[in-house]
Amino acid sequence: MQTVTVAIADTNPGRRTKLEQCLRNGQGIEVLTNVMVNGNHMTLSHQSELHASVAAVEDIIARISRFKPRILFIHLDPSDDANFTLLDALRHRCPETFVVLLTDKSIPEEHILEALANGARGYLSHEADPFYFLKAVRVVDSGEIWATRKMLGKIMDRVLH
Amino acid sequence: MVFRGEIFLILLASSSQDDLYRWERGVHSLATVFCSTNLDSVRDELVRGKPQILLLDHDLPKLDGPDGIAGLMKLNPETKFIVLSHSISDEIEWALFRTGVRGCCRSTIEPEQLKAVVEAVQHGELWIRRSLSWRLLNELVIMTQEKNRIKRAVGELLANLTRREYEIATLVGNGESNKQIARRLAITERTVKAHLTEVFRKLDVADRLKLALIVKGSVSTNDATQTGHS
Repeated sequence: MQTVTVAIADTNPGRRTKLEQCLRNGQGIEVLTNVMVNGNHMTLSHQSELHASVAAVEDIIARISRFKPRILFIHLDPSDDANFTLLDALRHRCPETFVVLLTDKSIPEEHILEALANGARGYLSHEADPFYFLKAVRVVDSGEIWATRKMLGKIMDRVLH
Repeated sequence: MVFRGEIFLILLASSSQDDLYRWERGVHSLATVFCSTNLDSVRDELVRGKPQILLLDHDLPKLDGPDGIAGLMKLNPETKFIVLSHSISDEIEWALFRTGVRGCCRSTIEPEQLKAVVEAVQHGELWIRRSLSWRLLNELVIMTQEKNRIKRAVGELLANLTRREYEIATLVGNGESNKQIARRLAITERTVKAHLTEVFRKLDVADRLKLALIVKGSVSTNDATQTGHS
């Protein structure tokens, strides 16, 4: 089994540690902990506070370009409904890295849909069973997407109408 | 599955009695089930019975693939189509989804599994193979990129207008006539026309319909120009 490199961008240390531990239990998964240095684990929300500054996005792009994780988990904050600049930039400039969003119940489906439309390859809840995080890594690594059938229905509705 | 005040109907369509029997076993507990063994009967049932779900055999004689299915969909747009097949390529399967089909699966699917498919589709889910789902997302991403490109182009164009010109262009976008705009802004119609002439020149469009499309963010100026030539 080929090793899949994974990085996590989440400002919440508790959630981040939990996910890191979960991923380390998966065979063939290497968690890169030094991608976001100085505790500066950027999230989309953090980016919004910085007014999606070009410099901040450039910083993340530079880090991702250097470490080249195959999968990048990003915490999606519901308070940010505008900043998909980072996702778009990652898709264009780091095409070898696939973004998977970390969500919770407070995030509207439309917001997740918008993030997928801007280049994220999947999403799953922080509360999901560890089994699904490991499976999502494998599925997204293979080029497929990780989304519920309900979300796929919404995507199709948007594509067709 | 409970539908207040309405009978939930499922139409099964196949020329294979074996398939119909197996499918019926899977979904009979969900709804009233009707069966059709030929295309004419399917058409009649779609119009008359207005089923919520149609389980359609891709090999039904004279169906004519995605085009034929698109024709059936027009008979009752409310019906959700699930296509069952013995073997179809990824390309055809994707074409079926692009037509508006909500689910695809094998004709030989187990009855219990078919029941799960119908319930999922009835709840708005899409029954698509994971290996095809990337095409779906890819299409959404391309579509979004194009929208963003137009939005940016429109933003750049409109930034060239003066405040008054922008105001008038926006009102044209809302469908208002020169007279209405003049009244709203307390200026003469002649002044409105003069501003519009300048707006048309700056945006390189010939008429207010194209201007409205641009203001609404539907097309960029190039697209509007091309539309005009077509």
